[in-house]
Amino acid sequence: MLSALILIPLVGALVLILWPGQLEAQTAKVVSAVSLGLTLVVLLLLGSQFELTTPGLQFEELLPWIEPLGLSYRLGLDGLSLPLLVVNSLLGLVSIYISDPKLHRTRLYYVLLLVINSAVAGAFLAANLLLFFIFYELELIPLYLLIAIWGGARRGYAATKFLIYTALSGVLVLGAFLGLVWLSGNSSFDYDSNLAAALPLAQQMTLLVALLVGFGIKIPLFPFHTWLPDAHVEASTPVSVLLAGVLLKLGTYGVVRFGLGLLPDAWMALAPWMATWAVISVLYGSLAAIAQTDMKKMVAYSSIGHMGYVLLAAAASTPISIVATVFQMISHGLISALLFLLVGVVYKTTGTRDLTVLRGLLNPERGLPFIGSMMILGVMASAGIPGMVGFISEFLVFRGSFLIFPVQTLLCMVGSGLTAVYFLLLVNRAFFGRLAIAPPTATPQLDVDLPRVSWRDRAPALGLAALIIAFGLQPNWLARWSEHTTLALHQPYQGFVVGESRFAPAALPATVAETILIVPAVSPSSAADAAEVYLP
Amino acid sequence: MINTLPAVAAVPHPQEPFIQKLLRAEALLPDSETNVLEVVGILKSYGVVLDAYSKNLIYIADHQFLVLFPFFKYFNGEVTLPRLLRHWWHDRINFEYAEYCMKTMLWHGGGQLDAYLDSDDFLQRCRAAIAAKIKSNPAMRGLNALFSDFLPEQVRQMVYYSALGQFWRVMSDLFIDLSDAYDAGKVQTIPEVVAFIKAGLVAAAANPITYSVDIAGKTYDLLPKSAGLTFLMDVAVPYVEAVFFRGTPFLGTVSYNAQAYQISADQSRFDYGALYADPLPIGGAGIPPTLLMQDMRHYLPDYLTAFYQAQGRGLDDVRVKICQSFQKSMFCVTSASLQGLLPYPADTQDSVEQATNHDFLAGWMTRLATSRLDIVQL
Repeated sequence: MLSALILIPLVGALVLILWPGQLEAQTAKVVSAVSLGLTLVVLLLLGSQFELTTPGLQFEELLPWIEPLGLSYRLGLDGLSLPLLVVNSLLGLVSIYISDPKLHRTRLYYVLLLVINSAVAGAFLAANLLLFFIFYELELIPLYLLIAIWGGARRGYAATKFLIYTALSGVLVLGAFLGLVWLSGNSSFDYDSNLAAALPLAQQMTLLVALLVGFGIKIPLFPFHTWLPDAHVEASTPVSVLLAGVLLKLGTYGVVRFGLGLLPDAWMALAPWMATWAVISVLYGSLAAIAQTDMKKMVAYSSIGHMGYVLLAAAASTPISIVATVFQMISHGLISALLFLLVGVVYKTTGTRDLTVLRGLLNPERGLPFIGSMMILGVMASAGIPGMVGFISEFLVFRGSFLIFPVQTLLCMVGSGLTAVYFLLLVNRAFFGRLAIAPPTATPQLDVDLPRVSWRDRAPALGLAALIIAFGLQPNWLARWSEHTTLALHQPYQGFVVGESRFAPAALPATVAETILIVPAVSPSSAADAAEVYLP
Repeated sequence: MINTLPAVAAVPHPQEPFIQKLLRAEALLPDSETNVLEVVGILKSYGVVLDAYSKNLIYIADHQFLVLFPFFKYFNGEVTLPRLLRHWWHDRINFEYAEYCMKTMLWHGGGQLDAYLDSDDFLQRCRAAIAAKIKSNPAMRGLNALFSDFLPEQVRQMVYYSALGQFWRVMSDLFIDLSDAYDAGKVQTIPEVVAFIKAGLVAAAANPITYSVDIAGKTYDLLPKSAGLTFLMDVAVPYVEAVFFRGTPFLGTVSYNAQAYQISADQSRFDYGALYADPLPIGGAGIPPTLLMQDMRHYLPDYLTAFYQAQGRGLDDVRVKICQSFQKSMFCVTSASLQGLLPYPADTQDSVEQATNHDFLAGWMTRLATSRLDIVQL
């Protein structure tokens, strides 16, 4: 059944390629949407059969492929990949829905979107390191083309930069995987959490550094981030939604799955450095966002900041912080998708994203009051205002990481405060005041006559906002899928957490429900015990 | 040797093209088919609304004299449950707008009316009316004894209620007549619109402005005909000055900060009037000009509704569109007023008279430099 998640979009792409005669944009859109809709149905079926208490991979599929190379078609689903797969299909649908119906080269465009969806699903499902790498690389080409063909004025530069950076990322990841398997004397690249158990610490650390830099480029973390703002600025809105909502998550997923999951000794040794790296990335991203005057660039730099939280939480590797990584990935996926979507509507309606000329867009009669309201909701969610999923994820990150890395966590919390600063700047400049698309000093101030935003364009923002609020009010709807997997990931780090914690181990709660509902805390002796005690 | 400064060429007034237009009996608003449609259409609905405002202002002046808590002043004497429910439902004429205009005139003053209200003659008439009104009301008598200026000031306000009501009575009929002339094809251009309004203003210029109240069967003349107050110079000109030009810094849609000296200490330098008003609301409380736009929306002629429907967001932003059209129409009324007030005939051949006319218009055009004049040209 897992293969269906990879194959359905590919079949959809094939249908589009073979569609006879002139392919209407609407037809291509419907075929693509149906394909991704079917993947959501498959995910729903998988969800209904998903064993919440099983921490390992489920629904495994194995097909021997090139055995001499150790490559097998091995797929599996667990609490780490399931939510990300849902976000992949959901944001894929959103991207298709908001795609410009007047695009040129329609057939190619939708085929590329479907291939990206398939490749990302494959990467999240892969239980073989080489297979993951193949899918990880496979999404590069369609994304490169999507930016290079349908991007903005500097699309060639942005797409090439993206390709160079992420290709380098792929080389480092592949090198780390090869080193891991060959040094450990294995012949198979199948995912095994004990793969590196016998390796000396120095080798593990070398491999981990390669993985961190490789995935750090993809996430992206400072100083490997420079491709992202350019890519976002030049990409069309649907591609930006996918890029921020799904594709960056391949990096954080890789860090958690392969770094945290395969190299525990090196992880523990490098964790303080990673936490510090996270702080630098968070603060740099936030401060750079403050300096931006392009709305889209501001949201892009905000992504760099918010992805840093995932690294902080992963570095702490407490039960709560590991589940927080999943939360932060989903939360950032939804919120950044919403923000890019709204920036896209503003750009489409006003013709600019320049914060030095946009003003008063909340104007009830002639502005974009609905889009403005959604934007305020989105930036509030991003800044971690309670009641929305951004608060839950950031709270879990900080709550889970503070006992291990108090200084780094506090500095990251400063980054959270800076989020409020740059997004308030954005809202204040673009949405409050007298409606105008001109600098404040321009005379005369013309009466702006913006076209109306239809409910069709409002609907996806409304849907994403509903999810952001729903998971903010009921975080367990999300946490329940991942907790056992993340507790299992935490297992090798129990000694590390107790040893590094500046406070009594009992002060560290084990589950999201416990953290959020403030149930009396008891430290779990093992993941299984914890599951019995906290997750009936 | 005598050194003299080199001769400096006269610098034309920055608004010279507009001055020349006014002297040629044209308008501050460009002449176009859509401008005529907008201006005449909006003035028709304005005429209907002014009719209601006028009747209510005169009703308040006549029947709510020194009623300190006039709960039903907007009902024109017909207090019924359906009217009350409709009032609370807010689907009604916003008479508050008329009162804002009246208070703006009272505040800025100007003309002989203002001067007369400060005269001893008026004060005597006023005190006589007050004495009659509060004769059997001990509370009011106590109030009058404690604060002797309070009730006279209330009476001055009543005078402005009546004066504005009389002014708008004439303007309402004039705008409805203009609409009829347009419908009959007699008015087809903006200069013709301006000429029609100017003719109406000139015809009513000498109409006397009077005000009297009946108390206990006796009539008290508060503004007697003998005071010599007339329609054009004592009400119309102060009205244009107060409502079109100066306005009020707190009742518009932009918020000004007095503490930050955003508001001039010199009232005569105010420029918050209708000719400067921003039609785009900025989260304000719905006070002028929004109230007026809401009122006019109910009485738009069909052709104007169809015109708005075909533009941009259709009727979703109709109040903004009404405000833009209204502003255009007010520039036409201003054009007519300035032409009517020219010291000498516009076509005079006397160079001194021409210079006087030019200086007169230059003074007004300087004040309009920061108005929405540039925008309505687009």
